[in-house]
Amino acid sequence: MTAHVPVRPFALVLGLLLVLTVAEVVLAYFHVPPAMMLTALLGLSVLKAGYIMAYFMHLKFERFGLFLLLVPATVFCILLFLGFLPDAGRGMMEGA
Amino acid sequence: MSEPAAVPVHHAPRGFVRRYIFSTDHKVIGLQYFFLALFSVLVGMLLSLAMRYHLTNPDAKVRLFEMLWPDGAAGGLMTPELYLSLMTIHGTIMVFFVLTTAPQSGFGNYFLPLQIGAEDMAFPVLNMLSFWTTFLALVVLLAAFFVEGGAPLGGWTAYPPLSAIPAAGPGQGMGMTLWIASVGLFCVASLMGAINFITTIIDLRCTGMTLARMPLTVWGWFVTAIISLLAFGVLLAAAVLLLLDRGAGTSFYVPGGLIVNDRLLDHKGGSPLLWQHLFWFFGHPEVYIAILPGMGLVSQVLSVFARKPVFGYKAMVTAMLAIAVLGFVVWGHHMFVSGMSPYSAIAFSVLTMTIGVPSAIKTFNWIGTLWGGSIRFETPLLFAAGFVSLFVAGGISGIFLGQPTLDLYLHDTYFVVAHFHMIMGVAAIFGIFAATYYWFPKMFGRSMHSALGKAHFYLTFIGVYLIFVPMHSVGLAGNPRRYPDFKEFEFLAELGGAHTFISLAAYFTAAVQLLFLANLFWSMWKGRPAAANPWEATTLEWTVASPPPHDNFGGVTPQVHQGAYEYSVPGRSRDYVMQSEP
Amino acid sequence: MSVSKAAVLDRPWAGGTRPFAMGSKKLGMWLFIVSDTLTFATLLIVYTYLRMAAPSWPTPFHFSPGILFATVMTFVLLASSFTMVLGVRAMSEGDRKAAVRWIGATMTGGLLFIALHLTEWRSLIAEGMRPFSNPWGDPLFGATFFTITGLHMTHVAAGVLYLGVIAAGVARGRFSAEDVEVSGLYWHFVDLVWMFVFPLVYLMSVSLP
Ligand code: HEM
Ligand SMILES: [Cu+2]
Repeated sequence: MTAHVPVRPFALVLGLLLVLTVAEVVLAYFHVPPAMMLTALLGLSVLKAGYIMAYFMHLKFERFGLFLLLVPATVFCILLFLGFLPDAGRGMMEGA
Repeated sequence: MSEPAAVPVHHAPRGFVRRYIFSTDHKVIGLQYFFLALFSVLVGMLLSLAMRYHLTNPDAKVRLFEMLWPDGAAGGLMTPELYLSLMTIHGTIMVFFVLTTAPQSGFGNYFLPLQIGAEDMAFPVLNMLSFWTTFLALVVLLAAFFVEGGAPLGGWTAYPPLSAIPAAGPGQGMGMTLWIASVGLFCVASLMGAINFITTIIDLRCTGMTLARMPLTVWGWFVTAIISLLAFGVLLAAAVLLLLDRGAGTSFYVPGGLIVNDRLLDHKGGSPLLWQHLFWFFGHPEVYIAILPGMGLVSQVLSVFARKPVFGYKAMVTAMLAIAVLGFVVWGHHMFVSGMSPYSAIAFSVLTMTIGVPSAIKTFNWIGTLWGGSIRFETPLLFAAGFVSLFVAGGISGIFLGQPTLDLYLHDTYFVVAHFHMIMGVAAIFGIFAATYYWFPKMFGRSMHSALGKAHFYLTFIGVYLIFVPMHSVGLAGNPRRYPDFKEFEFLAELGGAHTFISLAAYFTAAVQLLFLANLFWSMWKGRPAAANPWEATTLEWTVASPPPHDNFGGVTPQVHQGAYEYSVPGRSRDYVMQSEP
Repeated sequence: MSVSKAAVLDRPWAGGTRPFAMGSKKLGMWLFIVSDTLTFATLLIVYTYLRMAAPSWPTPFHFSPGILFATVMTFVLLASSFTMVLGVRAMSEGDRKAAVRWIGATMTGGLLFIALHLTEWRSLIAEGMRPFSNPWGDPLFGATFFTITGLHMTHVAAGVLYLGVIAAGVARGRFSAEDVEVSGLYWHFVDLVWMFVFPLVYLMSVSLP
């Protein structure tokens, strides 16, 4: 099976990923307030991860069912981890 | 497009080693898992008998203990540390190497490909690797008994900081390290298994085997594999961090200012609560990993022996999926006493209660399946019905424990022990028994003795209730769990009688299992030869010889035309229609 | 079998066909990626949790050189993902020679990443950073840093080996286009993980209020 796969879209995605990375670094350079910075960075990272999965890992070109099998459950579990955070700082002894 | 290749007629490898030891045949691997679990359950049971004996006779000097553990039981007198190490290995072995291994890896491996009409699992070599990794994990775990200091003391939950500090006790040195290594290996093996199961179910169903025609057993294995895939990766990471705390001097789980054995530790900055979160994030899904395959099997068996379609097939599948999702959001109910915010506790409590809904749906549907059926009282049916009974009995105590206010009192008492033994321990074991009696003819080509099987059921059923019902009361009276000796406590003095009763019931129940062992091994060689379909069931494994040929369907890919529960179909000559019948 | 191919494609879940129209190995790799994602996510949440709990967290990565250096590493990894895409593409067009070349380029990128990373590790270690202590304060800084980046680096190293096996096989006429694609999935995943490690560990080297 041979098929001609165009390079252009993938090169564009690479360019975009590089630009988004530069944007992240610029945020760090200007010392944006931490809360804003964290939000922005996570947003950008999720965007980058999305592009990597969609294009480089081809998920966009697979059956939609694969996406449904893999992504929602994983994201759900990771979001659940946030439930740990209210306990951060509890039960820690200080000093010594 | 990759179509599945035509199935060639395969022969089993000739050499003994390739055929029975490093085999890639899912049936051989299934049996390997089965016997690994059988060995484990015997070890686990013997440990529990030693514990029960010690609890009721704390001052007894037992030669056998001294022979087995010269350090822990010098002069035959069991030290508290030895007691705790027996408890740890008992729990770990039972949870991981019995309840996680037998229903999913054992029966799942053997019957999943057969039930969906496949020649083997999707990744036979991976399958073999995952068995041998599990085997290695078991060896490493048992090795903990033989190293300096013996096995660890912290129970199957291994809470830090003590589990993170080698100096914390005799078993917390090398023994604890081995325990963590074993659990880590087990995680890897389970992940390999999960990948294999999911891929097999998605890719290798034969023509006509739509999702809605899959037997509920297959759904049980499928949902369990998905849970495993999501949960074991978390435990693996948590275990690696614990290992680093012990070996590399990090302090992920160790707070500052801790004094152990009169020595101030260097560690600082970590959080023991973090382990509790990670462990239970895995731990609660894990209890469903143990029970879901049993749920599938019970649905199957009840339908076969009631000669009726499963009541509410779709509701059963939906309930399993709902349990899987909800199982991930309730881990906090194990941490009510950890000092968590009361608001989190309420959230976890409410979510925990909602699991009751799918659980109740399943229970009602099981009863609905039996209702009005022409029931054949064979041993598998009895054990399946026993499963339902135990599941309900254990679920009700769960509702108590799910209330934060009640749990403040009940946590770490024998009430919890009774709860999880009823629902996870014994119910899942009943599922395993049902599966063994049900599939034995297919696996070994012979039948198990029926009267002996029934006797085994009735005596075990009575026995486990005799053990665990009084255990609830002992817990309600405030008896703490994980204590080697109760006579130090005045308020527990009057519970001595109850404890003696529980121990006697335990010896009785353990003795009854000899019936099972005798039946199992006797029938393997001497049992009545079994027909291909002795129970008149509809699923594909019953279309092939008993035991099935090496390539399952002899090179012909089966085709499926029916759902899995076509019993008592009007207008047919027989009261059932095989899935492969047009 | 009288079922036509089109009918099967209409009903991908009807059995006798692969619902996602891909080989089992590819699906298996995706599932592995799910479980590995959760392992990495666990480490990152541990890091977040401990950092939130710490009274003060060391922030030794200054814009230059620390962050710029890590940025270069990020670029290297992204570029290696792109060469992997080209390798998979060459293979799907049947051009094994080109595929081997591009996979080789990807491996070089991976090795460069490891080399840069180890350089960074060495200079941090020279400054006194250890898994159990560091000159700037909270000892968990080193613990989380070395664990997260260490596990990631292990993945990169494993990936280089994996690609090496694939490239050697492709050169000798073994392996299908999909086999190469599967190895690509792994490689892109390792890249993807770094897209979270880089901002959270390096760029967030700022003191939180
Ligand atoms: C309606 C369903 C259930 C509810 C509401 C429930 C609730 C609870 C709660 C609140 C605890 C913590 C008690 C404590 O430590 O103080 C607990 C412990 C436990 N439950 Fe359940 N549970 C349910 C079903 C199950 C099932 C189906 C299983 C296993 C198949 C199970 C296995 C366990 C185990 C093993 C423990 C003890 C863990 C330990 O501390 O060692 N539970 N349950
Ligand atoms: Cu639970």
